[in-house]
Amino acid sequence: MALDYFEVECREESGRLAYKDIAADVLQDLDLIKVVSKLYIRIDLDFPFFFAAGVLRKMPPPVKISDFAGVMVRDGNIVLDITDERYMAQMLTVLWERYGRDRVIQPDRFTVTIDSSIADAKEIEDTVVFDQRQSIYKDLLYALQWIAPEGFRVRREWVDDHRFWYVSSENTLSPQAIDGIISEKMAMLAADGEDGGAFA
Amino acid sequence: MTLVPVTYKGGVYRHDIIVDLIDDLGGYIIQKQVVAQDVFLQSLIPKEDIELVKATGRPLGGEVIESPLVGTEIAIVSPSLDIHHLPHTSCDVAEYLRRVGAKTNMVGLSRGFGKRIANLSIEERDIINEHDCAVFMLGNFETCIEYKMHSLRRGITVPIIVTGGPDRETLKRIIEPSVDGYVGGLGRIGHRMKKQEGEIEYLDRLIDEVSGVLDIRRESIAKDPLSVSPARLMSVIDEDLGITKGSTHPTPVTVQIAGLRVKIPYGEYADYVASIKIDDSVKVGDVAEILPSRMRDYILLRIKPFSDTGIMV
Repeated sequence: MALDYFEVECREESGRLAYKDIAADVLQDLDLIKVVSKLYIRIDLDFPFFFAAGVLRKMPPPVKISDFAGVMVRDGNIVLDITDERYMAQMLTVLWERYGRDRVIQPDRFTVTIDSSIADAKEIEDTVVFDQRQSIYKDLLYALQWIAPEGFRVRREWVDDHRFWYVSSENTLSPQAIDGIISEKMAMLAADGEDGGAFA
Repeated sequence: MTLVPVTYKGGVYRHDIIVDLIDDLGGYIIQKQVVAQDVFLQSLIPKEDIELVKATGRPLGGEVIESPLVGTEIAIVSPSLDIHHLPHTSCDVAEYLRRVGAKTNMVGLSRGFGKRIANLSIEERDIINEHDCAVFMLGNFETCIEYKMHSLRRGITVPIIVTGGPDRETLKRIIEPSVDGYVGGLGRIGHRMKKQEGEIEYLDRLIDEVSGVLDIRRESIAKDPLSVSPARLMSVIDEDLGITKGSTHPTPVTVQIAGLRVKIPYGEYADYVASIKIDDSVKVGDVAEILPSRMRDYILLRIKPFSDTGIMV
């Protein structure tokens, strides 16, 4: 897995390896590999609790229509020539909302046309269709809930622009029990590598 | 006549020849599934006639596959039905058991997860006890399995097979008192099982373990045989009520090792089912207990042994 740092700590070796695989699978499924740069997980089987802390990479910029489609004016129409279908659904939703469903025509899979009398090519090029930053925190916390053992419904979590931690348990989480590990691991991640500045 | 559990897999075209042949030979079709161009007949066929069915099916592109779990109903007990346990590994296990003929029911516990908080409700206990055996799909940590297994098995009377992340020996060591089967290496995972080594091999071991446990059950039943074979009882009830024709259930009458689950309302049909004649002098009520199932409003039939009824049909 392409994380800069990835460690799972647990006193049971087979469980540790299993949770390493689960974390890798979940991050991959939710397309978070490119977003998370460091991840540390500790599973304490006696308390019991699940703790995860990590560092996020710099977010990719918002995706505009010009990033994945050629925009041309042809025969009184603005023609969008799609080169990457990945953001097609989001783009159509935005265009339908703005120009009306009957005015956004898709003659084939990779082409969308709009009457140029109602639309401006430059405006369409600059239209943002997807901004990962808006959904990333939700996705990240969902991923951590998914990775954590299911019965651990008592949760505390914290996310900012670069860092996050998440702790969950089936027992009451008192500050005395978790503050130590949170500060220790966040300091470790901060001191370890180029993202360290964020923790200073 | 020894009936052998097999699956006939072939094309839909003229498969009625095979259906008629199995019927003529005195065998039973437990479940018929039509999937696109293919038909799957999970059947019990007389041992000496397997070659005849194979030979008859050959020109139709059919093959006969050994399916040791045909005629069994197995509960796959998952700690919950949340994304943590489904679709992997619970569905992978359920699907793999179905491939060898078992009818599997997924029992997602309402509070099966966690370590201290795990428990089993009375309804869940009763539903699991209606099956031939229960496969408990537990997690990756031996500490948790050791701690919670006591709560999860409370009141379960059917054979239990435990699967979990730790290896088989560890499971055997930590589960006290012992259960009927253990399969290690099958804990919680986050992807579909595809690799032969480390994934499918454990599913194969699970099949062996379940077959072994059910064989022991069958042997103990054979010492005091049932008054009527479940497959025969199924065919008698289905012929009388026409349940399969009028139902959209995959198995409207589910065959178990020593009973049947009939998927019609208990309140309306229990008395009628008891009065159905198996032959001139024997009714269903004479050889089986007709009970309300905890699963919806179905009817559960428990076939009485010969020693109880003195009847053998």
